[in-house]
Amino acid sequence: MRYRKYVVLVSVLLVSLLLLSLGTRGGEIGRPGELVAFVITPLQAALSKIQSTAFGVWSTYLDWKNVRRENQALRTELEQLRIQSLQVEDTQRENLRLRRLLALRERLPLSTLSGEVIAKEWGGWVRSVTVNRGRSDGVARLTPAIVPEGLLGRVVEVRARAAVIQLLNDPSSAAAVMVQRTRTAGVAEGEPGGAVRLKFMARDGGGVQVGDLIVTSGLGGVFPKGLPVGRVIAVEDKGSALFHYARLHPVVDFARVEEVLLLMGQTGADLLPHFSLEPGT
Amino acid sequence: MRVSLALMLLGGGLAQTSVAPALSVGGVAPDIPLVLTVLLGLRRGPEVGCVSGFAVGLLQDVAGGGFVGAQALTKALVGFAAGLMGEWLWVSNPLVQVPGLVLLTLAEGLGRYWLLQLLHFPAAFGDVMLYVVLPQALYNGFLGAAGAFGLSVIEARRSGSLWR
Repeated sequence: MRYRKYVVLVSVLLVSLLLLSLGTRGGEIGRPGELVAFVITPLQAALSKIQSTAFGVWSTYLDWKNVRRENQALRTELEQLRIQSLQVEDTQRENLRLRRLLALRERLPLSTLSGEVIAKEWGGWVRSVTVNRGRSDGVARLTPAIVPEGLLGRVVEVRARAAVIQLLNDPSSAAAVMVQRTRTAGVAEGEPGGAVRLKFMARDGGGVQVGDLIVTSGLGGVFPKGLPVGRVIAVEDKGSALFHYARLHPVVDFARVEEVLLLMGQTGADLLPHFSLEPGT
Repeated sequence: MRVSLALMLLGGGLAQTSVAPALSVGGVAPDIPLVLTVLLGLRRGPEVGCVSGFAVGLLQDVAGGGFVGAQALTKALVGFAAGLMGEWLWVSNPLVQVPGLVLLTLAEGLGRYWLLQLLHFPAAFGDVMLYVVLPQALYNGFLGAAGAFGLSVIEARRSGSLWR
């Protein structure tokens, strides 16, 4: 049929115009429209649901991707912050140590020189630390070395820009000490195991008890009087022996020393009042 | 064939109210049923184009809550025109399909505006053309290009060549 397409067109246009006139006359869609709406509304709802689900899945995927990227970025940031935090903590600890050292330095009635530990010898045969102060700084052999807690040791070797300090718990170390409570004199020596032992304390003195604070006696001319050495943790009374022996818990944690004060001058005064002894040390 | 055509039209009509808003760019959404009508008209002739346009236009009228029959009429005309173009032009070429789609969208917009003016539609002609019809025509052209390319790929796979 030659004119079929025009017939279709005219029919469709007529139907459209009819719908338009029906719709505009009643102001509403009208019955045909309601019928179409009745068919398409559930389909629209279903399609909308499918679409929202699809978009939800896509959105979840995007979120997951973003979260993953964000997670990686946050992990990196967290790692950096941890490092920064450690650095800050380290700086704070160093700051605290230096403050204590400075405070002690200001309190002491003799000239001192601060030094930084640059090496440690921690084998059983020798226990020493090396500091970055040497002959050029005026350091001499037997210069006492202290930390805010008490006696660390003495300089046994001096180099141009460094000095080796023999620690108090070195097996060949010995310091003239006394019981702070009774003023009974003795000698504190290091032991191969790293402990410090109190030896040669006269039995007829005031004796020694667990918990007694041991300080340098000033005898021998190496260490000034009153430097805290340690506390008695066990007394070894050998009965017939001429002397008392005791094991000490050093006031200084030798393994953690990082900064020291070298006592450059001489003094006959008792230095104990210048140390703030923490309970238990 | 008729069932698949009906399903396609129904899908196109429904997509306009569900998918098209999600595809909107800068507030301009494509007229998917119009694209479908033009493509069907170009490929299947004026009768199919006209009936398809009427069907999807009616769906849009009902779904959109406007004057029922307005889009049915304009889209039926567009579908018929696209069908006539298909008889005169080499319409399987996207270089014909896409500009044809843009022009027919503009024509549909003009026709709809004229029709709605009869029903006292208040908007100004310039505003409707500038902010609604022209951007939508361009979007439809873009969408039509994508659709035509997709159809060509499918057809090429079926026949073994890219363009028939």
